[in-house]
Amino acid sequence: MNEILMDKNNLTLGNRLRAFAASFGLPRLIIAAFLLLLFIAAPFVGADFWTQISNTINRFSWNAILVLAMVPMIHSGCGLNFGLPLGIISGLLGATLSIEFGFTGPISFVMAVAIATPIAILLGALYGWLLNKIKGGEMMIATYVGFSSVSFMCMMWLLLPYHSPTMVWGFAGKGLRTTISLEGFYDKVLANFLQVNIGNLSIPTGTLLFFALLAFGMWAFLHTKTGTAMTAVGSNPTFAKAAGVNVDKTRLLSVVLSTWLAAIGILVYEQGFGFIQLYMAPFYMALPAVSAILIGGASVNKATIANVIIGTFLFQGIVTMTPTVMNNMIHMDMSEVIRVVASQGMILYALTRKTEAAK
Amino acid sequence: MKEKNMGKKLLSLLQANSVPVTFVLICAVCIPLSGLSVSYLLNEIVTRMGRNIFLILALLIPIMSGMGLNFGMTLGAMAGEIALIFVSDWQIWGIPGVVLAMILSIPISVLLGAFCGKILNMAKGREMITSYIISFFTNGLYQLVVLYMMGPIIPIKHFSIKLPRGYGIRNTVSLLNMRQCLDNLLAIKVGGVKIPVLTFLIIALLCLFIVWFRRTKLGQDMRAVGQDMNVARDAGINVERTRIISIVMSTVLAGFGMVIYLQNMGNIATYSSHSQIGMFCIAALLVGGASVEKASIGNVFLGVVLFHTMFIVAPKAGAAITGDSMIGEYFRVFVSYAVITVALIMYETKKRKVKSQMAQQLAQEQEAENE
Amino acid sequence: MNKTRMLLFRLGTLAILVAIAAVMMVVGRGHTVYLDNKKLEYQGQEYKTPYKVVVLVKGEQVAKLYDRERGSATNVGQNFEMTLEITQEKGGDETVATYQIKLPYNMDGVIINLPGYLAGLPEEAYLTEFVSTAPEEPEAEEEIPESDEFEMGEF
Repeated sequence: MNEILMDKNNLTLGNRLRAFAASFGLPRLIIAAFLLLLFIAAPFVGADFWTQISNTINRFSWNAILVLAMVPMIHSGCGLNFGLPLGIISGLLGATLSIEFGFTGPISFVMAVAIATPIAILLGALYGWLLNKIKGGEMMIATYVGFSSVSFMCMMWLLLPYHSPTMVWGFAGKGLRTTISLEGFYDKVLANFLQVNIGNLSIPTGTLLFFALLAFGMWAFLHTKTGTAMTAVGSNPTFAKAAGVNVDKTRLLSVVLSTWLAAIGILVYEQGFGFIQLYMAPFYMALPAVSAILIGGASVNKATIANVIIGTFLFQGIVTMTPTVMNNMIHMDMSEVIRVVASQGMILYALTRKTEAAK
Repeated sequence: MKEKNMGKKLLSLLQANSVPVTFVLICAVCIPLSGLSVSYLLNEIVTRMGRNIFLILALLIPIMSGMGLNFGMTLGAMAGEIALIFVSDWQIWGIPGVVLAMILSIPISVLLGAFCGKILNMAKGREMITSYIISFFTNGLYQLVVLYMMGPIIPIKHFSIKLPRGYGIRNTVSLLNMRQCLDNLLAIKVGGVKIPVLTFLIIALLCLFIVWFRRTKLGQDMRAVGQDMNVARDAGINVERTRIISIVMSTVLAGFGMVIYLQNMGNIATYSSHSQIGMFCIAALLVGGASVEKASIGNVFLGVVLFHTMFIVAPKAGAAITGDSMIGEYFRVFVSYAVITVALIMYETKKRKVKSQMAQQLAQEQEAENE
Repeated sequence: MNKTRMLLFRLGTLAILVAIAAVMMVVGRGHTVYLDNKKLEYQGQEYKTPYKVVVLVKGEQVAKLYDRERGSATNVGQNFEMTLEITQEKGGDETVATYQIKLPYNMDGVIINLPGYLAGLPEEAYLTEFVSTAPEEPEAEEEIPESDEFEMGEF
């Protein structure tokens, strides 16, 4: 008894800090500290603090749902969803078809969601079926399923019989453009809803609310019977099987959910950004989302809604802050390099954790 | 009866080589459609063989040691590029330039390879995705070095290489003074087709090295590690070290390969030459009938020929069919990715099958013991 | 024993590689040689140009120089060998001779003044470094591609 007490007293501040760093993850700590430093440095280099905050929140609102899409598959033990582009493609199909069918204004957003949903469910189901065949090798195959589908769709964007003059190349009269403006369709449709403007600070309340709704839905789902079963499948498939959970079906559901969220996520991203980006644009979209959730504290087999929110904020904070601050400070725009090293480093860190490698 | 047997054999042979067979079919359809002349096609294929085979051979060693497709070969490519940037700045021309670039790439490759190997040892069982992410991560470091440190920290003299702002390397670095110097030395023309004999000799040398290496103690160790890490460890093999060596070798070879590749191209696209090289090499290898755990020199050669035939004819054939040349471009990208996807799926399903078979066997044995 | 042998073997390999690299650096150093057929003044003396000089390098004609003309040749390594066919006066006879010039390692571009060289002046008189006088073209800042953008490239 005494010894234990002694031990506790011996825990110096350094030890405690080290323990904290170990539990929180050193890379995560470095990234958080870096962002903090950026925020502190911003006013000194002449960048307006509130503009920076607005930008960060804005970008947060665009990306948060894409990051949220990571959660179900991590829970069911399918790992990080590097196949996010598949869901994004469903969203793009929804977006382009909605415009093709002549919907305009806010209703085009609703229709895009409505069209994207069945496509996402179908593709997600196929994708989930595939991932059930190759348990243990999900991440690599997910990556390449994403790549294959994006490059396949590149051909399709050219070949599918789209006619809407706002979307096809003017001179050829066929084949979709690489970027399509959403003006007159659903540009900022969520962001402008209840938007708050105080001085330089502007908050896209609608988008945030939409994210909050989905995030709450996800949280609630994870607490239902099916949701807990999903977590059980992820943490201990043998046990889950013994408890009568249909492992394959649960995994399939998680993949469908993830794909659907990715489809919705890209639509929300587009409404904030103002453009639909086709062809190679979705190619590497999985990587920022993956690293964001990892920066937020998730691991390959554990993720919470809090991880999503913290991670997206940190990641987007760095993305928006580094160019301005770095440029003003040392007149060198190293933000690109910092972003790549930080985000990929974070993914590497997560992949090399011992506890998670034992599967 | 005999015929039936033959048919069965043929069928199983086709099944085992489904990927190359599919590619032969694709090529057979696309070549006439593309309207390209045979001599042009042959010339292109021979050039691309000389350009790419060395790089692809670099993939064989990690496959041998069970580490799968080394997406981290990009690291070697980056090392080769950095070496070539130096050589080009120092104005070393011709074959001496190529040799010097190869030597210079070795320390960089070893360093990067050791780093990659160490990390892969921490991520056993998911080497491929990890090596894939490592290639992105290292690309960030590469940019840091090439785009910011070259100039002020690492001396670069010539303004034909440096960006006008004073630091960083330009988007393209010309290798005019060593362009195709390996390919042109000893080159012979056979019926209008230029054959870069020296390049092929170097490739042959590497093939011999690989064949010899398989029989050495280290090569045997690698194969043992590839088959079963635990058994190998029990047999007294230092598994971690063997794996690191295998990645280092692959990275060094990839560095050499990149130098050969770039001397043929005649210039370096500083920020993009390496980015897709891993993917294309892997796709070519898989097209040749290799799998994630088994690949031979024959696969490399067959793969290069088939993959590149497809690569050359696809845009033209696509344009002939749909009237849009971009379709063909996208088609060949799609095929590259699809081939890798299919190969990965086949590998994983097979792995699972073997696992479940072993589990069944174990269960049966236990049952037998219980009785 | 085995370990020391291994170490020696490795050090040996390293030494050989370094040696090869060093040799390559000397052997492969490329220079552009500019040959000027121009009047030279040196220490108060004037050296006149021949009427015509034909320059051959490795058996190939690289330049035919009349008065105040400049030709160029590339050379790998520091030993530059050229054959000059010199016609002193218009209509006069040709004299053919082969010359070898040591090029300084550090110069990318080397200007050689032929009249000075032919008169047997010391190196500092006939040999100068070529510095590009063409103004740096005011290039627009090159776009650096995003690292993770998809690029097809050639393969």
